[in-house]
Amino acid sequence: MTGPLAGIRIADFTIHAAGPFCTHMLSQLGAECIKVESAVRPDAFRKPHPVYGRMGPATFDQVASNKLSVRINLKKPQGVELAKQLVAVSDVAAESFRPGVLARLGLGFDALQQVKKDIILLSISSSGQTGPDAHFAGYAPLFGAWGSLGTLTGYADGPPVEMRHVMDHTIGLNGALAVVAALNQRRATGEGGHVDVAGREVAASLVGEALLMAASGLPVGRLGNDHPRMAPHGVYPAKGDDVWVSIAVGTEAEWRALVKVMGASALAADNRFATAAKRHDNREALDAAVAAWTATLPPEEAVSRLQAAGVPAHASWSTEEIVADPHLRERRAIVEVAEPDGRKRAAIGAPVRMSGTPDIGIVRGTPALGEHEDYVYGELLGLTRAQRQALQDEEVIH
Amino acid sequence: MRQEPSAAPLAGLRAVVSASGVAAAYAGRLLSVLGAETTLVEPPGGSPLRLEPPFLDAQGQASALFAYLATGASSQVCDLETEAGRKALGALLDAADIFVDDTPLAQRQARGLDQATIAKAHPQLVHVSVLPFGAIGPKADWKAEEINALHASGEGFLLPNGLTLELFPDRPPVKIYGNFSLMQGGIAAALGALSAVWARPQAGGQFVDISVQDAGLAVGCFAVQRYGDGSVENRHIRSFKYGGVIECADGFVELLTLEQRQWTGLVELLGRPDWATDPALADSLERSRQGAAINARLREWAKGQKVADVVSKGQALGVPLAKYAEPSDLLSNEHEKERGFFAPISVPGAGEVQSPTAPFRFRGAPLPLRGGPPALNEHDPARPASVPAGQGA
Repeated sequence: MTGPLAGIRIADFTIHAAGPFCTHMLSQLGAECIKVESAVRPDAFRKPHPVYGRMGPATFDQVASNKLSVRINLKKPQGVELAKQLVAVSDVAAESFRPGVLARLGLGFDALQQVKKDIILLSISSSGQTGPDAHFAGYAPLFGAWGSLGTLTGYADGPPVEMRHVMDHTIGLNGALAVVAALNQRRATGEGGHVDVAGREVAASLVGEALLMAASGLPVGRLGNDHPRMAPHGVYPAKGDDVWVSIAVGTEAEWRALVKVMGASALAADNRFATAAKRHDNREALDAAVAAWTATLPPEEAVSRLQAAGVPAHASWSTEEIVADPHLRERRAIVEVAEPDGRKRAAIGAPVRMSGTPDIGIVRGTPALGEHEDYVYGELLGLTRAQRQALQDEEVIH
Repeated sequence: MRQEPSAAPLAGLRAVVSASGVAAAYAGRLLSVLGAETTLVEPPGGSPLRLEPPFLDAQGQASALFAYLATGASSQVCDLETEAGRKALGALLDAADIFVDDTPLAQRQARGLDQATIAKAHPQLVHVSVLPFGAIGPKADWKAEEINALHASGEGFLLPNGLTLELFPDRPPVKIYGNFSLMQGGIAAALGALSAVWARPQAGGQFVDISVQDAGLAVGCFAVQRYGDGSVENRHIRSFKYGGVIECADGFVELLTLEQRQWTGLVELLGRPDWATDPALADSLERSRQGAAINARLREWAKGQKVADVVSKGQALGVPLAKYAEPSDLLSNEHEKERGFFAPISVPGAGEVQSPTAPFRFRGAPLPLRGGPPALNEHDPARPASVPAGQGA
């Protein structure tokens, strides 16, 4: 693997979604990521769990792909020592426990710095490592609620909307960015440091303009699919059951192109729609006219006509359509991953393509628990077979 | 690049950003708050982002969106339709480490912005292209605004869920507020830029191709995983069976219990009513089966509760509960205050405004904001920051 981060090693103590997505992104960019779990405490997402009411497959395989797996029982003092040995040969340690847990285990930033002076420790949590709410438990929908992203999402006459995994994963993407910034700083200064990423702050960072408005005493609220300037702008029914087309008209040229594609010269002549401001004021009537047109066409037909005329449009895609898309396949945004049993499944690639360090992506699927201990404990840490066996007998490697 | 240990992570790095859209501009903001010296290159009339509502002033001059995205940057007007403008940009790029550009592919060559021209003139430069569908592939020339990008990457089709979907089952899918997908493109662009800077000693400068659709799809990856596991997600099945958005007497809370101990804490919070202590409900799958009945009870109970009480008592019992905070709440919360999440910036036309800093902290401190958004062509440090937008050229 010679991606841009080749040569970087991560000791990965993260669990659930946000942290593992972060280290998964870094691994796709070429970092060697060693995932630490144990039989007593496997990643909760490795086990089946009843999300959405079915004891179905856990959503683990994507973010575990590319990673090496070792077992360390952190409940045992020798396990903590083994974890320190791993950190000592790593550039980055990553964790997503509740604030304070890592220090109580004896693996806080100061302790890790003792074994690796320039270590970069990434901590991902719901509310950050400090502050009165630092102990709060949370998941993606709660981050969205705290950060007001969920509050602001929804129909104008409806309640807030829960954020889902995209919230976890944007926290992870921000974490990956922060880690690479810290690596660049380490190169410049020789110093590592503790990086603190808070889920609620990531949610808030995605509505920065609304926060500036609120700070100026100006009103902000839920807008549904409305845009503060563009009209038409929305999600319109296409021909079929639960199929939709998104359309956004931001310029005069796009407006003229839209009415031409629609064959709606009456709209172009209608004084209610003569300027961008008037179209926005009268967007309800405009939306009805656009919806009446889109409902006559399959979504892809409407979209290809609109894009050919220069109007921003895209069908509302289900996963089935995404996974089959030639464009995403060509970009390797969708890839096939082979599991150890030979089964293939679709997965997402890294959202970055690079000309000079192009080896980015997934090179192996989900690791079995402890699958890579020969390499990590044998080659990297230099433990003998006998030493490893003794640690297994004492349920340290367990 | 040498820097003091206490400096911001990217101190000493220089970024040039040519952005007419949110994705590239957000990459610029992230690089700027991380400490890079960031210059926004604008056409003579200014970036169209300066004209995007909502506005902080009655005259419609001070865009809140632009103020957020351009915080800490300087501005230099380069008319890329002219030789002089292209030369001025070239001089900026000579001194830069990163160039972020969202010019549509069809317009790049004429402006000297295509991959080959930039690579030849600036071999050590990290050239980051940010487009709705990326720089290669059959849709590389397609256009997309936020709502199109959200629906091209999967999450658009999957919202709303829970209470909103119960109330409005027949409405079109609803988008995430603001510019969620475009910002994912911006985060991916900043990540790609810094990864390329990291690799520069071995690889030299290089071209980094970012697609907003790819970035939105990446953060929505679990739907792809579930497809591989044999299930196609849609918003009608993607609801938690109980909990979710719950209305209290004075606002909404989010409740989500995924682990047994959290359910036990919730039963305590409710005061151990008979229905909740039914032994059948000790099983998580049974709770899911009875989700609608549980929610009816929870909603009835919550009607008489205050948000602050529910959250503080619930969290003390280990129950994941959060207030659906209004933006104004964040400005007054003790937590955000103690963490220094907001800092004042000066916005031309609107005065001093509290702005979010960054969603990550290094060495225990928030990243400082280095001024507000620039007036047009405001790149001389000696120039006062109060020049009204649009009059600085």
